[in-house]
Amino acid sequence: MTNHQSHVLVIEDNPGDADLVRLRLVEGRSDLEVNCVDRLSAGLDALEGAPPSVVLLDLNLPDSRGAETFRKILSKAPGVPVVVLSGQDDEELAAKAVHQGVQDYLVKGAFDSKQLARAMRYAVERQALLTSLDMSRKQQLRFKDEFLSHVSHELRTPLTCIHQFVTLLLDGLAGRLTADQRGHLETIFRSVKQLRTMIAELLEATRAETGKISVELRCIRVDEVIRQAVTMLHASADEKRIGLEAGVDIRIPLVNADPDRLQQILSNLIHNAIKFTAPDGSVMVKAWLMDADPSFVYISVADTGRGISPEARALIFERLYQDPNAVDNSRKGLGLGLYITKELVRLHGGRIWVESQVGHGSVFTFTLPLFSLPRILFSTITDQGRLRRAVSLLTVEVAPLPACSSDQWQDARRQCLQLLKSSVYHHEDVVLPVPENASQQETFLIVAATDEPGAQAMEKRIAEQFERHTELRAKCEIKVAHTAVPLPEDGAEGSLEAQVQQVANRISELAMPAFARGPGSPTALEENSGLVHQPENTKEHTQ
Amino acid sequence: MNKPKILIVDDDPDLRKGLNLRLRANHYDTAYASDGFSAIAMAQKEKPDLIILDIGLPAGDGFVVLNRLQQSASLSVIPVVVLTARDPEVNRDRTLKAGAIAFLQKPADNNELLEVVRNALQQPWPGAPASAN
Repeated sequence: MTNHQSHVLVIEDNPGDADLVRLRLVEGRSDLEVNCVDRLSAGLDALEGAPPSVVLLDLNLPDSRGAETFRKILSKAPGVPVVVLSGQDDEELAAKAVHQGVQDYLVKGAFDSKQLARAMRYAVERQALLTSLDMSRKQQLRFKDEFLSHVSHELRTPLTCIHQFVTLLLDGLAGRLTADQRGHLETIFRSVKQLRTMIAELLEATRAETGKISVELRCIRVDEVIRQAVTMLHASADEKRIGLEAGVDIRIPLVNADPDRLQQILSNLIHNAIKFTAPDGSVMVKAWLMDADPSFVYISVADTGRGISPEARALIFERLYQDPNAVDNSRKGLGLGLYITKELVRLHGGRIWVESQVGHGSVFTFTLPLFSLPRILFSTITDQGRLRRAVSLLTVEVAPLPACSSDQWQDARRQCLQLLKSSVYHHEDVVLPVPENASQQETFLIVAATDEPGAQAMEKRIAEQFERHTELRAKCEIKVAHTAVPLPEDGAEGSLEAQVQQVANRISELAMPAFARGPGSPTALEENSGLVHQPENTKEHTQ
Repeated sequence: MNKPKILIVDDDPDLRKGLNLRLRANHYDTAYASDGFSAIAMAQKEKPDLIILDIGLPAGDGFVVLNRLQQSASLSVIPVVVLTARDPEVNRDRTLKAGAIAFLQKPADNNELLEVVRNALQQPWPGAPASAN
């Protein structure tokens, strides 16, 4: 045993077992410092101080039982090796613990001091190995992130120069161009844009890997984002004489998504579809609802392109994958677009897949969760399977001051959201930006598990925090109001789900003035406030 | 009417030249600075209507320049558009916090840049004489 393994924490509530373990420990070595506690809470407290070399852990303690016990210890002290002391009857659980990060287990009464010493020694060594592996992996990712960030910056500078002068020439600012000259310059310009995309993708993919992509979910209209994406890519479709159309029923309910990220997902897919479709083909974007999966909207991008082979289909969402057959007449990208797309869909809580027939075309489909007040509010308004006693609704209207630029306003909205999130009492309290509205104003709803005085105090707290935030105050002004949400009587009829639904409806009624201002009309919200699916919505756009 | 004057701050001579041509073609007057120190000196001397500012600069980077501008009563009223090759994820919020009114990443779309410039110049700025329109 090495000299740094000198302090053992034993968490064991049975005094006999604890004494036996202590005895076995001291038999093997006299210089060990053994600290015995009989509660998980005391063990967790002991881990606050200097970390022990090893924890010997009984799983069934007075204040915690089973898997819960080792999970709490592991999350408290992830770098400390743990050996489970199991009884004859829970060996199976101990084996499971080893799968989940515990280093080893010993069956009580069935080990001598040598076995104990060996188990502890190996536990320490394995843990050290794991820790250093984990550290080098993190270091590598960080290095890669920094490296790519640096490289992309360095690449951008000369690219900017090319971009600037090519556009100067193309805009005729250095004299008239012949048709040939213009054609050549346009070719250069296309490559510049391609390079710009590739540099952006490089950074984005590293972020996806390090979990740094941010997705800000809010309640949005999917048809608008689809229309924007289609409009944006119309020019490149026209260039190839490819028909690009969208078939979206405006009655599709609101979804819970980040509008910028959704735009990114759609343009990646549409861009690919155009790229792999021959002239005179077509690309169709559709959105519909599925009876069998009522909490999601389905969005697909279908093309009449060359299709994707089954082998390629299996790998197409992998990082850096490129279809070898796709090389012949279109230029390769980095093979990151679909990987990023998949990660973005995943961060929204959706799925993405592809169906394809070689020679006939491909259909990429992804799902996004519908915006559902009952689902979002469930843990705010219920507690241990019952409705809470009090729920309050706060409305926070934020308006930019005249001097606030649009970039600053975006910034201010984000800061407001942060400020509000830091003002709520519980992590179950929900801060909800109201559906994008045309007016240069933002409204946030806060649904909080608190009573009237609590809501009043929260309102005061928000106003005070805003008052202190000089930077935010220079950009916008806010107006806060609160109201108690009427709840069904205690012992009211109906399942919990139905009651939650009822409360959610009341909240949307109370907030209706705020919702009604946005393009998400009251009707759209009513449809959305239910977990219940409306099949008539599907009719128009599934043909 | 006088043309609005824009101070271009960038350490890359080619980028300065390209941006200068673009802005002059759109009827703006221009002035240059190639480092943080001369950016402040030029801002004081030329009293530009707007500054286009790079971040990676010798002798005081863009953040230093933004800070210095903010500290001066007469210079803090000049709108600053940050135009940099740096990562927006890391720098966008930071530059806006430091007082810039917009953040654009290089290579920026020309129309977008001109739009931002136009908006910034039309805006009545806090403390600025109300003659911007």
